[in-house]
Amino acid sequence: MTEELFAVFIASTIRLATPLLLAAIGELLSEKAGVLNMSIEGMMLTGAFAAATGAALSGSPMIGLVCGMVAVIPLSLLQAFLTNTLRANQIVTGLGINILVLGGTTLGYRELFGARSREVIPGFDKWDPPLLGDIPVVGETIFEQVWLVYLTLPVALLAWYVLTRTGLGVAIKAAGAAPRTVQNSGLSVTLIRYGVTLVTGLLAALGGIFLSIGDIHTFTEGMTNGAGYLAIAAVIFGNWRLGQTIIACLVFGAATALQFQLPALGINAPNALLIMMPYLLAFIAVSGLVGRQSAPKTLAQPYWPR
Amino acid sequence: MTARSLKMPGAHMSALIPLLAVLAAFAVGLLLIVATGASLGQALSAFSQGAFGSSYAISVSLNRATVYALVGIGFVLSARAGLTNVGGEGQIAMGGIAATAVALQPGIADLPLGLAVIIPVLAACLAGGLWGGLAGFLKVRAGTNEVISTLLLSFIAIWLVYWCVQSVDLLRQPMSSGTTLPESSTVPESTMLPLLTGSYASPVTVGVVIAVVLALVAAVVLSRSTFGFDLRFVGLNPVAAARAGIPVERMTILALFLAGALGGLAGAAMLLGEQHSLKTGFSSGYGFDGLVVGLLARGRISGVIAGALLFGFLRSGGITMEMAAGVPTALVQVVQGLIVVAIAGAAYWMDRRPG
Repeated sequence: MTEELFAVFIASTIRLATPLLLAAIGELLSEKAGVLNMSIEGMMLTGAFAAATGAALSGSPMIGLVCGMVAVIPLSLLQAFLTNTLRANQIVTGLGINILVLGGTTLGYRELFGARSREVIPGFDKWDPPLLGDIPVVGETIFEQVWLVYLTLPVALLAWYVLTRTGLGVAIKAAGAAPRTVQNSGLSVTLIRYGVTLVTGLLAALGGIFLSIGDIHTFTEGMTNGAGYLAIAAVIFGNWRLGQTIIACLVFGAATALQFQLPALGINAPNALLIMMPYLLAFIAVSGLVGRQSAPKTLAQPYWPR
Repeated sequence: MTARSLKMPGAHMSALIPLLAVLAAFAVGLLLIVATGASLGQALSAFSQGAFGSSYAISVSLNRATVYALVGIGFVLSARAGLTNVGGEGQIAMGGIAATAVALQPGIADLPLGLAVIIPVLAACLAGGLWGGLAGFLKVRAGTNEVISTLLLSFIAIWLVYWCVQSVDLLRQPMSSGTTLPESSTVPESTMLPLLTGSYASPVTVGVVIAVVLALVAAVVLSRSTFGFDLRFVGLNPVAAARAGIPVERMTILALFLAGALGGLAGAAMLLGEQHSLKTGFSSGYGFDGLVVGLLARGRISGVIAGALLFGFLRSGGITMEMAAGVPTALVQVVQGLIVVAIAGAAYWMDRRPG
């Protein structure tokens, strides 16, 4: 592998991992609080669609971004209401919302843009960071990315800070590990779970926004194509720890990047194996072959206050 | 799924609320048709044409409902033991792979007495069962949550199908030219599921009969047999069940094996009944739809049948509506999603609150 090809590989790994990172950090917060948020796929798709629509109608990707973030809020509230207030099964509501969003965005897209058009939508341009971008060969290839890619850094840092250094983080983790104790200490488990679901929605939407107006500057029907489930797999493979989840997203991004790069290098690896890799790795991780898994204790269980 | 959701609410409430949810979702669907500017009458007539307008349409809808019903029965069965099988999609895929692989083996097509069909079908059941049983095994061995393992196994199986039809060393048909499609050869005619009517004008397969029989068997076994009682005991209180001498671990693996075997059977029904050659994404959405049917049935086999028929006819009608009236089939997805969300939310009023 030449230096240049390697730089391209790193760059596409980062680019492909970005939507996963944003969504997986959100999903991790949710799962820490005991909410298995399957609707993350639908949340990403909502963000992607609303951002594309907003950007196309206004001509401004920034307005598109705002549209994407705003559009996901009612969806998050619906998910939170169903699973916390009505204590509905988290898996059913997640799958239901995903079907609903897939249908709704496809319908909306056909109505607004016409069937299967591939119209280019105003999106974010790549940003050339000072200094880093000036490094020869690598600089231009790796560091010239849409600014949303760089947003993952502060998001990850903030998530780390909240989870490990604040009372809020303790409360979130306790809501998933010992909700009864949280209630006894005077906090509301329901409120915490509503909160994390909202934050997860915003982060997932950002991931979707990156897909449509950050990366390819268009919307296609069902364009998230399982990225939400991949984010869930990353959280599992990351053993519900932030650092490992981030590594998992990068590994998944690299596996996807390799699908396009291996043929270019003349290496004939089965494509299917690379696509399957993230799920296979997550499966091996949960199968207990490598170390103990530490899922939050009340993951996917609704909480009934006394 | 917790034991809570296995409690049986009053019969009138549990039938009325889903009905209201379905009607409300349909009403939204009608409004959306109007909103897209299509003619309501035209759309509805196209929908009914596609769902039950001809013996062909009815057959296709019933075949679809068969798949949903088989996956749904498996879901209810494992739910009795307190297990949530999210892996229907993967179990269908494994069943499809096994059915194709065995049906294409030399010699199988020449077997007498219907064995040419029966053996590939049994292979599919076994493959799906092992895929489900694997999740059960991990649950008792490593404490792996079956929701997570069955979900991951589904994605793995979906890409195994892709692998099988991409590689000539596996199931891809011999490459005669550069344009040979990435799919398996067509299975021999003697291995195809027989049609009930014997005519391709109404291609409803014996799969429907098998599903109905299995539904009856499952209903009786769950409510009247020792096995059904043991399953429920394990689901409600595994510790007490173990004290009472029930082999909890074996029951856990067996429950997921059976659910998987039903999924595998569904895969065989799709492959040997309708599609006749393995293609990428052949199971697309069927398993997840079947899972939703199982979830919405709230532990009742009768609910599985109702849900399977509803979704079977809905999907078929939706496809024709897109082709004939220009209303995107995505609209049916919206209606389906609304039904799922509404019934899942309505469970709040259908379940008794824990004391």
